[in-house]
Amino acid sequence: MRAWEAGKQADCYPHVAREEKERLFREIKDDERYTDYLYGCYECGICVSACPSARFYNYSPRVIAQAMAREDTDRVYEILIEDIWNCAQCFSCTRCPRQNNPGGLVSIIREVAVRNGIQETRDVLQGYSRVIYKVMLKGNQVSPDMLQPEFFADWGTWVEGFTKNMREWRRAIPLESLRGVTDASWRTDHKTLVELYTIWFETGNVELIREVDEGLYELLKNTMEEELEDAEDED
Amino acid sequence: MSRVLTIGSGPAGLEAARCVAELGYDVTLIEQLDRLGGTPEIERYAKLTHHFRDSEEAMREMITAVTSKPNVQVLPNTTVLSASGEAGKFRVAVKNGGAPQEIEAGAIIIATGFQHFDPGRETQYYNYYSLPDVITISDLEGMLKDHAVLRPSTGTPPQKVAFIQCVGSRDRQIGNEYCSKVCCGIASKQAIEIREQLPDSQVFIFYIDMRMYGYWEPQLYWPAQEQHKVTYVKGLVSEILPQGDRILIRGEDTTMGRPMEITLDMVVLSVGMEPSEGTKSMAGVFGVEQNQYGFIATGGASGIDPVATSRPGIFVVGAAAGPSDLDDSFSTAGLAAVRAASVLRNGGK
Repeated sequence: MRAWEAGKQADCYPHVAREEKERLFREIKDDERYTDYLYGCYECGICVSACPSARFYNYSPRVIAQAMAREDTDRVYEILIEDIWNCAQCFSCTRCPRQNNPGGLVSIIREVAVRNGIQETRDVLQGYSRVIYKVMLKGNQVSPDMLQPEFFADWGTWVEGFTKNMREWRRAIPLESLRGVTDASWRTDHKTLVELYTIWFETGNVELIREVDEGLYELLKNTMEEELEDAEDED
Repeated sequence: MSRVLTIGSGPAGLEAARCVAELGYDVTLIEQLDRLGGTPEIERYAKLTHHFRDSEEAMREMITAVTSKPNVQVLPNTTVLSASGEAGKFRVAVKNGGAPQEIEAGAIIIATGFQHFDPGRETQYYNYYSLPDVITISDLEGMLKDHAVLRPSTGTPPQKVAFIQCVGSRDRQIGNEYCSKVCCGIASKQAIEIREQLPDSQVFIFYIDMRMYGYWEPQLYWPAQEQHKVTYVKGLVSEILPQGDRILIRGEDTTMGRPMEITLDMVVLSVGMEPSEGTKSMAGVFGVEQNQYGFIATGGASGIDPVATSRPGIFVVGAAAGPSDLDDSFSTAGLAAVRAASVLRNGGK
């Protein structure tokens, strides 16, 4: 039996010092958005019923809000390590009658996890290096041609058949922009790139990546700096 | 005959007497104890649910509003012996101290209230009589009033306190199948008061449903949870056991889907309402029907009248008719006063 003591879950990440869990929770609560994202929880479950992730993964926005409202430090740590990566950040959960925003809480917790360079967070994000690389350098990472329907069970069963004949379907749409989208979606003009990279640097996002992937950080930083230097030379 | 007899001097009885007197009729208010005020007075309530008014002060105002009326006769230390007659002309024999006395009244208002469920009576799971730090909401009221919330075993302030809801209510095995209506609000009010008096404490409320109708939501539940960080856990406690010099409770945290064991310093049982001895004996003396739980049955000819008993001219107000909050007590008191006045005006017709 996993005996639970409210605010003390004995066998949940026992190797992590309580002080460390408390410090991270404090950092989450100190975020200026926190009091706007969390009031109290009715435990009504409307957020879960609205949540696409909850249908397919072991994930509950209710538990996020509830654990934090109850100040259950150990569960919050578990959430920081595990639960937050199952959220799609769609914010369907914001229909909460108490005006909680579990998705917003997840955003805060993700930022805290990344900022602190937690090992499990680095491991989780490892698989996303290419995604981060594309998003940072091109402004988006995904194009419809790349998607593999079997990875997205929540899209439904019809998608697979639809994808097989994707090219034919596209030809039926009289818009040039939807042909060869892989190519088009990553074609970003110079001015946009300069603005994008400036934003990444100014907002501290480049430095954030350093906490989870040093190699990726170096690569991104160098590429972006080069582009920005070229832009300065042109001026 | 222009007199109404009111029995009991808690909030409902006082308000009924005040209203009848203000309508211009004579009132005799009888009270078995030597002082007025009923349960809030006897159990030394700290603050009233749900307005957080100081109980002693609010009751003093209510008592004065009655005793200051020239057409109200107050008889403390008085019990009812027997009654005869009918609407418009009742004759009630009472004992005032040692002396029997007869009162003639056109209508009668029974306001004899409730008593708290005795948590040791039918179930010993909660160890109320064996563990000193297991108390009830009525025990806690006095502590809050004295600003002395202390563990009875040590005389020190508790760090962790839990309320357990629905003790003696909503339980087929106990026989009290009804909701006692006020305990959710009272526990939330008391939890707020504990957090105010002991800011370092942690307070839990274990519940089946939180019944926070109307404005109790923004007045009690939300502030308790959001401002005072009271932890509400949906799930009842099955056992309360000694653990060293502290208390171990076992239950299920149903929304988190896991069993729970918590070590506490003090447990407060939210004991529900049962008919008081006075209510049960008045039902007998006046021959009015009781419901299956012993409260005085209401409904009248329409079936939905909240103050009509099975006998014309005899009305019931407040918790003598079933679990009631103060709003209910005031509402039924005012309604019964009007009904009683109509009986007097129309000579019992």
